[in-house]
Amino acid sequence: MSAPILELRGITKSFPGVQALEDVDFRLYPGEVHALIGENGAGKSTLIKIMTGVYQPDRGEIRLEGRPVHIHNSQEAQALGIAAIYQEPMVFPDLNVAENIFISHQDRGRWVRWGKMYADAEAILGQLDVRLDVRQPARGLTLAAQQAVEIAKAISLKVRVLIMDEPTASLSAHEVEQLFQIVRRLRCQGVAILFIGHRLEEVMRIADRITVLRDGRLISSAPREQVTVEGVIRDMVGRTIEEFFAKKTVARGDLLLSVRGLSKAGVFHDIHFDLYCGEVLGFAGLIGARRTDVALALFGVEPADAGQIWFAGREVVIRSPAEAQRLGIAYATEDRRKLGLITPMSVAANITLPTLPRYLSRLGLLRRREEAAVAEDFRRRLSIRTPSVRTEVGKLSGGNQQKVVLSKWLNAQPRLLILDEPTRGIDVRTKAEVHHMIGELAAQGLGIILISSDLPEVLAMSDRILVMREGRQMGIFSRAEATQESIMTAAMGQNRVAEAAAMAEGGRS
Amino acid sequence: MRNRLAPLVDALKSWEAVLVLILLAVIAVNSRIAPGYFSVGNQVNLFVLSIEKIIVALVMTLIIINAEIDLSVASVMGLAACLMAYLYANGVPMPAALLIALLTGLLAGLWNGFWVSYVRLPSLVVTLAGLIGFRGLALVFVEDRSIGNFPEWLNRLGQRPLVGPFPLALLVFFVGAILTVIILHFSGFGRLVYVIGNSAEVARYSGVQVRRIKMTLFTVSGVVAALAGLLYAARLGAVRGSTAQGFELDIITMVLLGGVSIFGGSGTLWGVLLSILIILNLRNGMGLAGFSAHVQTGVIGFLLILSVLIPNLAAAVRERLRLRRLARGERLATTPETPV
Repeated sequence: MSAPILELRGITKSFPGVQALEDVDFRLYPGEVHALIGENGAGKSTLIKIMTGVYQPDRGEIRLEGRPVHIHNSQEAQALGIAAIYQEPMVFPDLNVAENIFISHQDRGRWVRWGKMYADAEAILGQLDVRLDVRQPARGLTLAAQQAVEIAKAISLKVRVLIMDEPTASLSAHEVEQLFQIVRRLRCQGVAILFIGHRLEEVMRIADRITVLRDGRLISSAPREQVTVEGVIRDMVGRTIEEFFAKKTVARGDLLLSVRGLSKAGVFHDIHFDLYCGEVLGFAGLIGARRTDVALALFGVEPADAGQIWFAGREVVIRSPAEAQRLGIAYATEDRRKLGLITPMSVAANITLPTLPRYLSRLGLLRRREEAAVAEDFRRRLSIRTPSVRTEVGKLSGGNQQKVVLSKWLNAQPRLLILDEPTRGIDVRTKAEVHHMIGELAAQGLGIILISSDLPEVLAMSDRILVMREGRQMGIFSRAEATQESIMTAAMGQNRVAEAAAMAEGGRS
Repeated sequence: MRNRLAPLVDALKSWEAVLVLILLAVIAVNSRIAPGYFSVGNQVNLFVLSIEKIIVALVMTLIIINAEIDLSVASVMGLAACLMAYLYANGVPMPAALLIALLTGLLAGLWNGFWVSYVRLPSLVVTLAGLIGFRGLALVFVEDRSIGNFPEWLNRLGQRPLVGPFPLALLVFFVGAILTVIILHFSGFGRLVYVIGNSAEVARYSGVQVRRIKMTLFTVSGVVAALAGLLYAARLGAVRGSTAQGFELDIITMVLLGGVSIFGGSGTLWGVLLSILIILNLRNGMGLAGFSAHVQTGVIGFLLILSVLIPNLAAAVRERLRLRRLARGERLATTPETPV
């Protein structure tokens, strides 16, 4: 590797009350995948925003190919060949793939030359080895395909530095693999890639160099060969975590939930399993496996149309979340902001929402002091980092919001807790806390269904794992039988090769 | 103690604070240009002239915070008034006629609530249909007549002071306002009204019985509108098919000027009470000073636009100031202690 293409020297940035970055030196070389990791609030986003001109550093300089540059906004960054793609791709659903790729080109003359545009778009996608119909509207593309379009857009702008901010957060394992293929191709073409990720095993697979930020400081930066997962985690959290995952085997309790032949037309078919008290049943599968839909049926949001559910020894019909809750079933959603929390309302109000009647006087008036006391209790127990329980939940970081969602359901004292992607998008420390908590809850005798796309997490946390694929149950694996390979094979079906090929087409979800 | 005061301090920076200033300005101007403005008679009269609207505005506040709307209230007022008059004119005893009219309001509310909560149609459409349909029904009963000659006790109840200088309708409003404040700001029901107004989906996923709350709100709205319609009939002593026509817009204006978001989820009854005081005092003062009703309406429309503009302008100014302070603060912070 020759000279760095992008170099940051002594970058310092503070916001009122927060030192976001302190004296950070950072180099990015062409043809390198450079992973940037750190807990939420470590300063990753600020660093990206400085590179893309959204923020100006208080001190320090940015050099592009050795020359100092001042980047005032993202248009300037783009003109310099620095582009960023985010977790949620920004495509225009009603425009087709080619239009999306060339959306920011204004130098194509007065008339759109459709033929040339389609040919160019195909050429760029060909470079990435992505097969997509360039005339297809972006609406209905899978998230992975949308990201491919965004990357193609960056290439069309002659990108030299591509920043990928948690691009894999919402992708299934297979889609991640496709994305990595694209990343490797870009690397071969000499693009410098800054990769921000939360899933360490992915980072370890793709990165050439790994840099860790903590509390706004650069803690370590080393080539991939020289780092270990344990070392990286230590650098991120500033302490050693002896036990990353906390689930211990608990003696199996009474039968809590039996599901037989549960079906919903066009969604899932013939789901059947048992869940015992004190057990964690993992739900594994790719995106589109319909795991969440089964959970929504159990929670009464979208009831199934066939099959039986026995809960705590008797057959039940669950038609609404209110009914599910009365039975003692809780569902912590994967979509915190849309379905889990009232973001403009306080931490306390969110925690007591499912159990509000407990905090009312006989006349129906709110007993705010008791409400605050309960919220305060959860703040301590789950170490929710918030100035006060009266703070708006929307102002908390993702990990802390997740803890509020968990508090809300723990306070309902359920017997069955369904956790849907409980650690998505949260930092390592919080993740470990959540894992620890799941273990404790199981030890207290709760039955837990853990839906997670993070395979190591499912493997480590579950007593048994139910694997789904496109609405069908592919099998239940005991701890002994479950390995990354066995789960993945089941999740992708027998015809693994054909499936992989179909997904590489970036077909509709 | 500091913590107890914090919400108060926040409140002072809010839209309600702006409303208080506007109200004080209106009162100050009124006291100069409007002769007899401060007399008890005028102060009561100022409420009485719009009393039916402000009673309905209380429930409307809850409905709009809940991210719904009820456009049919004025038609329900008209329907209740006309039905009562029709029944009485056809020999039904007045107490029974009043009761039937109230029940009709209940039914109208249940009707709206059913379509909104169970069929999940937008309340804008459902209650627009109600606005047309209920008014049509009222016209079926009274056609183009004016029906009056109510029993003397009803007229007295509608027009004379009942307790001290206050007529019945004003007492209804006072009690209603206190109840609504308690329900919206201090009860579990009120909490759920805000929750659903912010996100009905989050509410449902939290086991909240969203339909029951919406159903309750629309039903109460129907009953209260009917009650307001009857009070109106008693105050005027006669009804026609067009009784209370167009009131829904004045009512919604009061709520929106009070700082309630038309998208639901935010706003307080305090704001709405202030906005009611502003509108009533403004109309009263301008009336006393001899401005026509059209000019009064124009001014209120202008106020409503301001109510949308001012918070946005204030936010922009605050942002500008914050940036300036930041720029100054940073220079101070960086110069003396630059590390080597």
